[in-house]
Amino acid sequence: MTTTIQFPVSRIEGHAKVIVDISNGQVRSARFLAQEYRGFEQFLQGMPADQMPVIVPRICGVCSTSHHIAAVEALEDAYGVTPPDIAKKIRHLMMVGQLVQNQATSLFFFTMPDKLQATSIFGADENLGKETLGSISKKAMAIRKIGTELISLAGGQFIHPVKAVVGGVVSGIDRDAAAVMQEKIKKALPLACNLFDEYWKLTEKLAETVGHWEGDDPFYYMVAVDKHDPTLPVDYITMQRSDNSETVTFSAADYAEHLQFHRVQDSFSSKTSFNDLPIRANSLARMNLIENPGTPIATGYLERFRIEFGTPAHQILLFDLCRGIELINGLERANSLLSENLQEGEMNVPVTPRDGIGYGLVEAPRGPLIHNFHIKDGLIEKAGFVIPTVHNNFAIEQALTTMAKRYVSEDRIDLGLDKAMGWVVRAFDPCIACATH
Amino acid sequence: MRFAVLQLTGCAGCEVSLLNAGDELNLANLAYMPLLVSAHDVPEDVDVLLVTGGIRTDEDLLKLRDSAGKVKKIIAVGTCAISGGVAGLGDRHDIREHFLAQANKGRVPRMLPKCSPIDTEVEVDNYLPGCPPVPELYIKLLNDPQSLKTTSIVCKECGRKKPKEIRPDTLTAGIHKDIDPELCLVKQGQLCVGTSTRNGCGAICPRAGFPCVGCRGPSNNLIEKDADAWFESLISIFRRMTDIDPVLISEALKSPHFALFLFQFSDYADTELEKRPKEKVL
Repeated sequence: MTTTIQFPVSRIEGHAKVIVDISNGQVRSARFLAQEYRGFEQFLQGMPADQMPVIVPRICGVCSTSHHIAAVEALEDAYGVTPPDIAKKIRHLMMVGQLVQNQATSLFFFTMPDKLQATSIFGADENLGKETLGSISKKAMAIRKIGTELISLAGGQFIHPVKAVVGGVVSGIDRDAAAVMQEKIKKALPLACNLFDEYWKLTEKLAETVGHWEGDDPFYYMVAVDKHDPTLPVDYITMQRSDNSETVTFSAADYAEHLQFHRVQDSFSSKTSFNDLPIRANSLARMNLIENPGTPIATGYLERFRIEFGTPAHQILLFDLCRGIELINGLERANSLLSENLQEGEMNVPVTPRDGIGYGLVEAPRGPLIHNFHIKDGLIEKAGFVIPTVHNNFAIEQALTTMAKRYVSEDRIDLGLDKAMGWVVRAFDPCIACATH
Repeated sequence: MRFAVLQLTGCAGCEVSLLNAGDELNLANLAYMPLLVSAHDVPEDVDVLLVTGGIRTDEDLLKLRDSAGKVKKIIAVGTCAISGGVAGLGDRHDIREHFLAQANKGRVPRMLPKCSPIDTEVEVDNYLPGCPPVPELYIKLLNDPQSLKTTSIVCKECGRKKPKEIRPDTLTAGIHKDIDPELCLVKQGQLCVGTSTRNGCGAICPRAGFPCVGCRGPSNNLIEKDADAWFESLISIFRRMTDIDPVLISEALKSPHFALFLFQFSDYADTELEKRPKEKVL
């Protein structure tokens, strides 16, 4: 007898569902399917290239900063422009703000409720009562807001930022405003550490009951960051096999030669593989492949993490803990970036638009993101978006299948399956608006 | 007051903005919002339903119809819910058939022939425009809706100077630079439409040096008129403030690819949007 069970997934960005196929009491497969589509790659055709930095952030309201900057960098690549250093720093700060915002949201609003057996973080507050953790949601919001304020400061507005332009940035950051922001970060940092410590404990508790869900099948980690600063993107992608037996690097322009894209009939998102194996991007990939995060408190956390779980650590549940380490790292990084001169000097260089092909690569919170534009007569002839969630799709399904098997036996399906599927998906923090675009 | 957020096809930016307003809101009253709360459906006891995103698929349509029947009041939030927004670009004549043929393959929610604003299907009590609406607007909307009643234009919140003697004669092409952070962007020859766009956003874009692209839509003076009236008004403002050839301004404004269209007119497929009474627009 064959049964198909569907679960809509909440507390992720966008519309998706999990489908588990069960045959004679055996899980045959579990799949993760994206259910929305807008068609950016199609409708951008014929639009003026210079509008891309305003339009493409609308691919996703959670990841808009990454799209904003990747688009600007793709156009700079096509036009042969190098932005001044100060503009690069301001863009870096924007990306750090996005990392803080995203990791705080994923950690405290998306996954923490699972660890507290609640349907939302606001519900968790009510369950716990004030005496246990205080109001978690209030703390979480305060920490998250540091990220959005950083994006606003560097990017003009925090959801669809506007300040990165081809050739640099529109304007600098006022020194006084930077100092005010630093004070806020200094206050938020102990709060973030405190909440993350609680989170770490809750994760261990959950792991005691359900394990860390490690699969034995090989896969590749994928990152595009500096080995001593995981908030700083580099201009190449690194793929490392999970058993450390192979490391491959390639540039954004060569992605199509290295990655295989698979289309499926029942999802608006495709899936990527590398050497026919699944890929894992996102926080765990970064924390496994870097030497160190380069800031004191985050380095302490990563050392503790490595002692406890090994290097590389492969358990799915550890994506979340890595997000916490990155949250702390992001706060520390932002603080040091704000000490630099971001106010005086050349903010942008002159630009002469020209036709051609350009690639932009950034490390978004979910992994390496590539924008590719073919420009003809100043208009977009072809646009391509290579999205981190798409890379993770096979890994998500692999983990879902492993997990589903624990809840399905020949005579019964454990009712906990619904929740467990949500835990697995959220560990990867997928973004469906981006994946389908 | 119990409220819920129905997310149709969109980017989740409106939800993220709402979350940023969280400090000032009682989010324990949030009955349903898939981004933050795990609940399978809009419950029956909801007072206010905020709808974000446009109607792009048959699933969007079903969810909207089903939820609308359960709630006392519906507010269309953000550009996509109000005018189709960025997804409406898929309705462009030159792209539409190709787009639908591509999208409607396989066992996935079916694309409707057009991406539609929500008031084409359900009665909307209020509109909160913006891409996305800033958090302050949500705070007013949910805590003190009366405070949203009077609106002016973005310039009121921008505060850049408009000296009479400065009159640019060329329109700045494509890439934006802020030459003088005190000086009005129109006076810098940029196609900023803050002069006729509804305020309430705090003028965040022009204050940061980037021209307003009109995401909050027309001000109260223009909202009950058609798109042409809006364009005429903008052209006459540029004529008053600059020496740029009005023909150039007109062409730039009406270019179907200008970002203004992206935010305000999902009428690529020849449908005139119904005019919304200004009392309903917040």
